[in-house]
Amino acid sequence: MAVATPRRVGGVVEAASDPSLSALTEARLPRVTRVKNKSPAEVQITAEQIIREARERREPEHPRGPARKIAGADELAEYRLGERKKFEDAVRRAASCGSPSAWVRYAEWEERQGDLHRARSVYERALSSSAAAQRGHTLWVRYAEFEMRSRCVSHARNVWNRAVALLPRVDQLWLKYVHMEETLGAVANARQVFDRWMAWRPGAAGWSTYAKFELRYGEVDHARAVYERFVTEHPHPEAFIRYAKFEAKRGEVERARGGRSRGRR
Amino acid sequence: MGKELVATAAEANAKSLPECINSSNPFHECSDYCIRKIAEARQRLDDEVPDSSKRPPEERTLHPDCINASNPYHDCSEYCFKRIADAKAGSFCSIDFIVELPYHVLSLYVVTGSERAQKEDAGKSHVAEQQSEENEAGKQEDAAGVDDGYPQMTEKQRKLFELQLKMNEARKANQQAMVAEKKRMEPRGESRGVSKQKWLEDRKKKIGKLLDSNGLDMSKAYMLDTQETAEVKYKKWEKEPAPHGWDVFNQKTLYDAYKKRTKNIEVDMEAYNKAKESDPEFYRDASSLQYGKVSKVPEENIDKMVKELKDREAKRQSFSRRRKFNEDKDIDSINDRNEHFNKKIERAFGKYTLEIKNNLERGTALPD
Repeated sequence: MAVATPRRVGGVVEAASDPSLSALTEARLPRVTRVKNKSPAEVQITAEQIIREARERREPEHPRGPARKIAGADELAEYRLGERKKFEDAVRRAASCGSPSAWVRYAEWEERQGDLHRARSVYERALSSSAAAQRGHTLWVRYAEFEMRSRCVSHARNVWNRAVALLPRVDQLWLKYVHMEETLGAVANARQVFDRWMAWRPGAAGWSTYAKFELRYGEVDHARAVYERFVTEHPHPEAFIRYAKFEAKRGEVERARGGRSRGRR
Repeated sequence: MGKELVATAAEANAKSLPECINSSNPFHECSDYCIRKIAEARQRLDDEVPDSSKRPPEERTLHPDCINASNPYHDCSEYCFKRIADAKAGSFCSIDFIVELPYHVLSLYVVTGSERAQKEDAGKSHVAEQQSEENEAGKQEDAAGVDDGYPQMTEKQRKLFELQLKMNEARKANQQAMVAEKKRMEPRGESRGVSKQKWLEDRKKKIGKLLDSNGLDMSKAYMLDTQETAEVKYKKWEKEPAPHGWDVFNQKTLYDAYKKRTKNIEVDMEAYNKAKESDPEFYRDASSLQYGKVSKVPEENIDKMVKELKDREAKRQSFSRRRKFNEDKDIDSINDRNEHFNKKIERAFGKYTLEIKNNLERGTALPD
């Protein structure tokens, strides 16, 4: 694989220009020479060749250290200390940008270590410190899901409560909150949460979620009441159409017609 | 429309003699010229092959719709009947317009020497009445046509025949799957800049014959669609394009995901009713203070919740699949990180830089 050495086109940095030091720097580096022979070399090299060689000569990436065996509580404490230090550094670095991923990774490691208190404290620090709490809902969702996974229902409720109070316009938080209450079988709680949500007048999606929730438990009157509220608070034609569709599905054609005529007005 | 075509074809083919070399053409009308040629052929045979054993047998089983009708040595067998029946059953508007000849006309040319021929005659004349009725009634039932295609088969034979059909279909499907898999497995060729042309050629190959037979142009290729495929196409057009990039988790998609999860909720009506009775403030509104009170949640519900969370996480893992590594692709990276970066950037800018890259490869730009 003959590779032609490229002709020397540039020199190297000059020696120190200070005359007093010239004695020290005796070995003068060569000055920039001009290219004398401008014809192409006999053997040329292509870009692809260079890339291939570079790829072949690369070093193995991220050489992992030797596998670490932990025997005993002391070593475990040491390992954890080391890891925590790494995480704290990462978190400090990530504090400038808004993404909560460093915090989340730290908290999830603590969760895996089984230390729920520490994980909780990490999440709380994350919420209080960075702007991630105000900007996005991801941190709240992670926190609440951590509580749910750890089977701490009242903690989870607390977190959801706070999240929903701070970011009432983010539908996802409400949806997940309501879903949790429903999965836990606390239907009355779920209803209360829905009511709180409706006070914020979400879009058609929110209202229809509420109505569907009521229908799931067979409370047709309540669903109807929900739609009535919807229609009074949102006098858009879309609202009326949805109401009419709901009634039509239930086979109450009269009410559907009434709904439509109201909408026309 | 098929009936008229068939009728005209029947008329047109009224004079097609089975010994004529053009007999397999459904529109052919035997004229004096044909009769002369047939006579000449017969003469030639007599001259060349005086040995009667080598002549084409005068008695032969012949179905007029058989494509091998013009071959004097051809004997229609069950396979031929099968094929004819398939053709009749499968294609309303295909190119081989089915000729519904009245059988009794043909029986003149089928010399009744063998028993088989006799049976066939009987069967045919019986079928002829059926057929003429069918002709008048119009082609309504494919199934009836299928049955009439092989008048000699008993129930068992018909069942066997249907099984054989199924086996053939299965074999064909297997072969297609094999070809597709082979195409998937072997390294894909260089796809930069050649895709549109190749795709066009492929398509032309696939439907070219069908187009030509119907007298269609490539631009009118949509005429070949059946109603089902056309409906599928319309549905696809109406569908909104899925969000990609940073917009994947927008409000609407999250709501849809929630709706999907509500389908898995198990509604426990008993517990619900019990709770309704026990709790005075069951239908509470937002301002109720009941929420702060600690309520006992049964363990199994918590289990359900945890399980659901874990399921969701498992599903999230399979969100993006691992692509096959294409070894034959050109290396344009010095590193794994570099490779990853190149993939990302190709995704974003690939279609804009395609021409530039091709020009560089070629060495010169095309004069466009």
